[in-house]
Amino acid sequence: MLCEICKIREANVQYTEVVNGVKTEHHFCSQCARDLDFGPYSAIFDGEFPLAELLSALLGGETPAQKQDKYQQIVCPTCGMTYSEFVKNSCFGCADCYSVFDVLIHDNIKQLQGSDSHRGKKPVYQNTGGEDTVHPEAGGAGSGAAGDVPGAAGDGGSASVEEQIAALDRKLKDALRREEYETAALCRDQIRALKGGAQQNG
Amino acid sequence: MDNCRNIIYSKVRLSRNWNEYVFPARLTDEQAKEMVGRLCGGLKDIDGQLNMRYDLVDLSEIGELGRRLLKERRVINRTILKKQAPMSMYLSDDEDVSLVFNGADHIRIQVTKPGFHLGEAWKDASQLDDFVNARFPYAYDQKYGYLTSYPTNVGTGMKAAAIVHLPSLALGKKFPSLITDMGRFGVSIRGLYGEGRENYGAFYEVSNQKTMGLTEQEIVDLVGRVAVQFDDQENQVRDMANKNHRLIREDEVYKSYGVLRYARRISMKEAMTYLSQLMAGCTDGLVRFKESCDIYQLILGIQTAGLQSRSRRPLDKEELDVARAEYLREQLPELV
Repeated sequence: MLCEICKIREANVQYTEVVNGVKTEHHFCSQCARDLDFGPYSAIFDGEFPLAELLSALLGGETPAQKQDKYQQIVCPTCGMTYSEFVKNSCFGCADCYSVFDVLIHDNIKQLQGSDSHRGKKPVYQNTGGEDTVHPEAGGAGSGAAGDVPGAAGDGGSASVEEQIAALDRKLKDALRREEYETAALCRDQIRALKGGAQQNG
Repeated sequence: MDNCRNIIYSKVRLSRNWNEYVFPARLTDEQAKEMVGRLCGGLKDIDGQLNMRYDLVDLSEIGELGRRLLKERRVINRTILKKQAPMSMYLSDDEDVSLVFNGADHIRIQVTKPGFHLGEAWKDASQLDDFVNARFPYAYDQKYGYLTSYPTNVGTGMKAAAIVHLPSLALGKKFPSLITDMGRFGVSIRGLYGEGRENYGAFYEVSNQKTMGLTEQEIVDLVGRVAVQFDDQENQVRDMANKNHRLIREDEVYKSYGVLRYARRISMKEAMTYLSQLMAGCTDGLVRFKESCDIYQLILGIQTAGLQSRSRRPLDKEELDVARAEYLREQLPELV
């Protein structure tokens, strides 16, 4: 059955009205129903889809209420998103939200995704500062994987010198842990070069 | 690929965000307009990518009917359909490749291929991804990968989907539980057409549930494996039916053709059911058309927005049924 109002969409809301003992039935689609005034029942149509709320509840974690209260106040400085807003919509406001809310959402993301670290493709044209463990299959599918030179001096140029140094430092430690001394030495030299450059500029 | 005859098409979608702007949910209309303008401008040399021509479509300008038409043709999703904000899109001539700007994420790359070609769809999507990235740096985190508005897409930002047609398998009593079980393998399966719990036509989309922790190739392999498994099972059931009950199968297919070819009014449910049976009959070689006919295109054509845009006015249910029957009479070729 089509919606009585728009006559376009399929009706999926049945509205029964009883006025002075006279019963009338109406059939609306959810979109038109949202525009009508159903008094206290309007709230039903406000949410985009109930699944999002279910997901939100999972993401927000039904953890002890006190913990929630304490974190409700955290606000992302870049986009102004608060933690409670995030929990409500399960939608991030900007890239920085990930690091701002990291402590709060880390476990939930892990639960949701079954993993907490990305293993796939990396942006080819920007310096992600990461260690290049591009998987051969993933790289093969892209048009030329990012080179395997550690911290390939970025042509993206978006990361600041400090970020590059921090990334190289992480890679250095990682290389040492795996006893890959050649990679480590390369990282060390690059950090030195970057630090030298920074001092000259400063 | 003959042995994957029930896999109708393959689709790969990548979600990306430009690191200069906050995510779409927090953009003001002005910022969104500026960003969309810069993205469109920066990528205007897109023609020739993947050997295709592209048109720039202003999604906020084409109105709701235009967007519903695109959704029916599976170019855009529900979020983009409903969204009220500046949005644009580069769309290839054949509608198989699209780049949507300012949907749920800044950039949504989608590549569709007829048949079972998930690997190639990923390769093409990745190539476009590099094309965009050469001009616009992405929001990317070493640990979390590509950062997206929704945590359900973070990591690879990739959704790989195969659309399978399972008319015989879906009749089985165990089918609903089979679908539920698939969740344990990390894929989700949903019916494409139908209302409520009812499925029309037995078209199902198999896609990855998770976007992080797997490489893109692993996701492609996973979804592909499940889709092929479904295809194989369907083939076994159909081959058996064709062998043991050929007359019944032929009767089904010819009756379906008859109704589709001569009906004066036909509901969505009827049309989908008969087209589904006719498709299976064609695939199995039980009937042959005089001219080539892509039944999947007919399925796209009989949806509401498609019929409305053909008649250039809103139609009520009765008028829709008549328009649908007219469209099918016009499009269905004669049988050999």
